[in-house]
Amino acid sequence: MTALLEVEGVSVRYGDFQAVQDVTITIEPNKVTALIGASGCGKTTFLRSLNRMHELTAGARVEGEITLDGQDIYAKGIDPVRVRRLVGMVFQAPNPFPTMSVYENVAAGLTLNGTKAKKSEKDEVVERSLRRAHLWDEVKDRLGKHGSGLSGGQQQRLCIARAIAVEPEVLLMDEPCSALDPVATLAIEDLIRELKNRFTIAIVTHNMQQAARASDVTAFFNLEETGKPGRLVEVGLTETIFTSPSEQATEDYVSGRFG
Amino acid sequence: MSEGVRVEYQEELERLESSALGGLDLVSAALGRTLEAIEHQDVELAQLVIADDDRIDGRYLEVHQSLIALLATQSPVATDLRLISALLHVLKNVERMGDQCVNICKLIPLTGNEPPADSEMVKRIVAMGAQTRTLISQAKRSFEERNVEMARDLVRQDDVVDDLNRECFHLALAIGDDADKREWAMTMLLAARAIERIGDNAVDIGEQVAFVVTGLFKEFEDASHPDG
Repeated sequence: MTALLEVEGVSVRYGDFQAVQDVTITIEPNKVTALIGASGCGKTTFLRSLNRMHELTAGARVEGEITLDGQDIYAKGIDPVRVRRLVGMVFQAPNPFPTMSVYENVAAGLTLNGTKAKKSEKDEVVERSLRRAHLWDEVKDRLGKHGSGLSGGQQQRLCIARAIAVEPEVLLMDEPCSALDPVATLAIEDLIRELKNRFTIAIVTHNMQQAARASDVTAFFNLEETGKPGRLVEVGLTETIFTSPSEQATEDYVSGRFG
Repeated sequence: MSEGVRVEYQEELERLESSALGGLDLVSAALGRTLEAIEHQDVELAQLVIADDDRIDGRYLEVHQSLIALLATQSPVATDLRLISALLHVLKNVERMGDQCVNICKLIPLTGNEPPADSEMVKRIVAMGAQTRTLISQAKRSFEERNVEMARDLVRQDDVVDDLNRECFHLALAIGDDADKREWAMTMLLAARAIERIGDNAVDIGEQVAFVVTGLFKEFEDASHPDG
């Protein structure tokens, strides 16, 4: 069920500004790929190009090729909404729909995608998604309450449940724990490790220990200087990146000597 | 790249490296005294080496504790992590080398007051010790300079120690039927064996140098598969 995401020579521009240059990487199924690098190195921009989310910014365009199981996601006639259903995104700050109940938040993905489901089918999807997001036991008695009433960690797991309810192939996460306390963070990391059995996962994180703990593959992005585009410096097994990286820039970054 | 990030941590790591490697100087001094005690059957000097081993053990405990604290608080990775892992090994080797000196010194009262039964054997043991002290200082320097070539050369230097150890063994076999002489020779063989082990510890430190530099751990010589 999990998909292979292949990126070949991808550059991203906003108008005249080139944010990311010539990234080639394979994001493999059943693995968590962490994208690390200092602020402004283009990792979030790159992540957003993986489900055409950057297109929501005016003047943004992508060169190069990104394929999902061999299918070019930028090919003519491919609907970006369909791409985003196959490649889901979880954001930095938990953003449940504030006026919707817990139940409606999870079901929202189905509704927004125009899937007409019976109540019993919806019930099933909501429960399955909440269980997979390790949230079911905590919210099963208050499915009708507002999602915004949950704790930060619970809200983020609710957002993950919402993202996986539509059965995407790939799950992108943009600093999913940066607004959470350490205990909630570790709970999300456990969840990420479990979800990789079902989804292809790429996660942007500023927390190097999180990359070390939660990912199988680590990609280090860097830019030579401000104003220059971000590049992929090195990608490898997380264990290798954190014990014997090949590039000095990677070594300096993971050792906390810059950034 | 901004200078001055994590300065205190880097300084602490450098301090701990120099402190751990300084343990090798303590060992070299202890081995020097041990050899003198063997040569002159000096029981008092031997007692001093035994008592002084507390300093080596103290160094081990102190630096070990500080390295664990760095691991717990600074999340070292990459070269720093390899360095800390290697220093923990070095410390263990330092502690073992110190204990081997103690083992030898405990034997000295057993060799009696008579002149050595075989001066050739004593000569070889003293030569082994001198060569082993060379190994210890070379191990230290190769670590300080991150010099893998110099570290690998320890194997060649250690062969000299091993050869002398074998010669001691043959001299002991040839010592004859006199019970006292045989007891003396067996005791000296134990001393030779202990020195030979110190040489091996120095080679182990060389392997850690290669690990720090390359990120790969490989025994320079695999005793279990000598031809592999």
